[in-house]
Amino acid sequence: MTVFTAILVDGYRELVAKKLFTLSMILSLLVVAVIGIGGLNEQGVTIVGFTIEVPFVNSTMFTPAEFYKLMFNSVGVKFWLGWLACLLALVSSAGMFPEMVSSGVVENMLSRPIPRWRLYIYKFTAGLLFTSAQMAVFCLASFLVIGLRGGAWEPGLFLAIPLVTLLYSYLFAMSALLGTVTRSAIAALLLTILFWGFLFTVNSAETIVNGFRIGSVKECQAVEALIQKRKKENADVDVSDLQTELERDQSTLGNLQLWHRVLFALKTALPKTDETTSLLQRWTLEASNMQEEGDDEAEEVAATAQKQRRRGGPGFGNSRAKTSVVVAAIEADQRSRGVGWILGTSVAFEIVTLGVGCWLFARRDF
Amino acid sequence: MISLECVSKVYSGNTHALRDVSLHVGAGEIFGLLGPNGAGKSTLVKVLLTVVKPTVARGEMLGKPIGDKKTLTRVGYLPEQHRLAPYLTARQAVEFVAALSGVDRATRKKRAAELLDRVGLAQWMDRRVNIFSKGMRQRAGLAAALVNDPQIVFLDEPTDGVDPVGRVEIRDLLLQMRREGRTVFLNSHLLGEAEQVCDRVAILVQGRVVKQGRMDDLQKEGSRQELTVRWGGAGNSAGNSAGSGARGALSGADHVQVAGNGAAIGKSLPFRGMNIAPTMLANGTHQYVFADLDAAAAQPALDAARAAGGEIISLVPMRQRLEELFMKIVVDPLTGKAPPPGAGS
Repeated sequence: MTVFTAILVDGYRELVAKKLFTLSMILSLLVVAVIGIGGLNEQGVTIVGFTIEVPFVNSTMFTPAEFYKLMFNSVGVKFWLGWLACLLALVSSAGMFPEMVSSGVVENMLSRPIPRWRLYIYKFTAGLLFTSAQMAVFCLASFLVIGLRGGAWEPGLFLAIPLVTLLYSYLFAMSALLGTVTRSAIAALLLTILFWGFLFTVNSAETIVNGFRIGSVKECQAVEALIQKRKKENADVDVSDLQTELERDQSTLGNLQLWHRVLFALKTALPKTDETTSLLQRWTLEASNMQEEGDDEAEEVAATAQKQRRRGGPGFGNSRAKTSVVVAAIEADQRSRGVGWILGTSVAFEIVTLGVGCWLFARRDF
Repeated sequence: MISLECVSKVYSGNTHALRDVSLHVGAGEIFGLLGPNGAGKSTLVKVLLTVVKPTVARGEMLGKPIGDKKTLTRVGYLPEQHRLAPYLTARQAVEFVAALSGVDRATRKKRAAELLDRVGLAQWMDRRVNIFSKGMRQRAGLAAALVNDPQIVFLDEPTDGVDPVGRVEIRDLLLQMRREGRTVFLNSHLLGEAEQVCDRVAILVQGRVVKQGRMDDLQKEGSRQELTVRWGGAGNSAGNSAGSGARGALSGADHVQVAGNGAAIGKSLPFRGMNIAPTMLANGTHQYVFADLDAAAAQPALDAARAAGGEIISLVPMRQRLEELFMKIVVDPLTGKAPPPGAGS
C-alpha cells in the first residue's frame, strides 16, 4: 500500500506539474458553465437572455430537464469527455511511461523490492485515477447544473465517470505500451491517436456496412414478400423480373454479409470507444423517452409501408418509409449488442494490451 | 555480503558485457569496482539490483540469491547519471524513493530530513530539484540512496559532476558509512578517490575481472624505494662517471650505463646482488628504483653512491599507486593503448 500510495501521489504531482491537466480541468468546468447558461423558451435556445431560434429545440418540444440531459450527453459526454477531454488527458499523460523508463529514473524504480509488473500497473492506475477525478468534477458540476437549472436530480449522470474513464483506459493502456516500447512521449502520443483513428475508422466502416447489410436484408425481404404476394394473387403471374432482382439483391447481400463479418470480427477484437460512451445515452437519458418517441415514429412509418404494400402500393419502395425502417432496424441491431459484448470485449483488449506492456517491461533490460 | 561466482551478461547481437565475473565483497568494507568506460561496471551493479537480467548469475547478496527482490529492501543505490523527477522537491524525491523501498511514512519523513541535512541540502530540501546544480542533485541522490537505512549501498560514479569541496564531503560521507557498518560498493573510474577510501578493489576490463584484492596488498605488489643521486664534481655523474675514484669505490660492482651513442649516462648501484641502472631525471639527477620497501637492503647502494662521490638527494619509499596498477593492467604493453570500450563479442 505504501508503494501504491507513493506512486499515486507521484502521478498526481507529475500531472499537476503539467499545466495541461489543470487547463483541462478548467475547460471541463467551462463546458459545464456553457451548458448551464443555456436555456429554452418557446422560440428556441436562450443564452444569457438572448434567444437563438432553433427548429425543434424549444420549450414546447423539451422540458428543461430533458434539454440539459440532452446537452450533457451530446455536448458534455460525447463531444467533450469522449473526445477533447480524452485527447487532453492523453497529451498530459503520454509522458508518464516514457519518463518512468528513461535512463537515470528507471534504475531507481526497478532496484526496489517491487515486482516490475506491479510498478507498471500502479503507474497505469495512477494515470487513470486522475483522469477519473477530472471526469468526476465534470459530472458533479453537470449534476448540479441539471438539478438547479433543469429541476431534475439525475444520479445516473455519475455513470459517465466509470464509462468515460473506461474509454480513456483503452487508449491509455495503448499509450502506456507504446511509451514503454518507444520511450518517447511524442511517439506514444502520435501512435495512440493513430490507433484511436483506426478504431474510429473500423467502427464507422462496420456501422456503414452494417447499415447497407440491413438495408439489403430488408430489400430482399420486401422483394420476396412482393413475389409471394403476386403469386398468391395470381399463381401464373410472371415474376421473373422480380426473381432477377431478388437474385441480384441476394448476391449483394452475400458480399455485404461477408464484409460485415470481417469488420464485425475486427471490431469485436478491438475496444469500442464510441459504443462505450453511447451506453451512457442508453442508460441515463430518460431522454430514452425521446429515443422511444423516435422508435415509435419509425415503427409508424414501417406500419404505413406495410399498409401500402397490402394495398398493392409501392410499399418498401417508398424511400422515406424504407429509410425509416432501415434506420430503426440498424438502431435495434446496435441496441441488441449487449453491455457484456461492448465492455467485455473492450476490457479484454485492454487486459491483453496491459499484459503485453507488463511483459515487455518485466523482461527488458534498462 | 556479496559473493559472486559466475556472472555473465550477453546482450543481443552476441555482445558480452560481463564474462564469468567472480568477486567477493565483505561486510562493512568499501569495495571499489574500477575499470575503463564501457568495461561493464554499471552492468554488473544493475545485474545485482535486478535492473538488468543476467544471462548467468550464480552468487548471493545478503545471503539471498542474486535477483531476490525482497533483499533490495536492505540495499541503497545511486545510479550513474541519475535523475530525480523535476516536479518534486528534494524532500519529496527522497521520500518517494523511501516509499518505493517500503519505508513507513513517519520514518521516511524523519530520515529524509536528516539525510538531506547530512548531505548539505538543509536549506534546499523544499525546493524543486529542477533548479539544482549537478552537484546538488548528486547530493540529493546520495540522500535517497541512504533513506531506507541500507546494509549495502551501491554508488555508481557518486562524485560525477561534483566540485572539489563536494568530493571531499562525499568521501567523508563514504567513510562515515563504513563507520556505521554499511558496506559500500563504489563504481568509479576516478582512481585517486577510490585509492583514498577503498578497502578492496576489483578491476574490470572488457567484462572480466582482471585483478582484485585488498588495497594494501595491491599497493605492496608494486612497492619500491626511489633513490635520487646527483653525481656531481669530478664524477660529473652521467657522462664521465668512469672516473678512477668512483670506479674504486664501487669495488667491482660498478657498471656504467651507456647510451646508444656510446656516452655513459650513469652508474649502476648494487641492490640485493643485482646492479640497478638509473634513470636520468630532468634536473640532471639520477633515480634508482629498488623493488622493495626494506630500507636496510638499500644501504649498500647508498654507501656505494657516497663512496663514488655521489650526493644522496633522497631515498623515498613508494607504494604502488592505483593508477599505476590500473595502467599496467589496462594498457597493452605492446601498443601502449587501452582496449576499446565495451566487452566486445
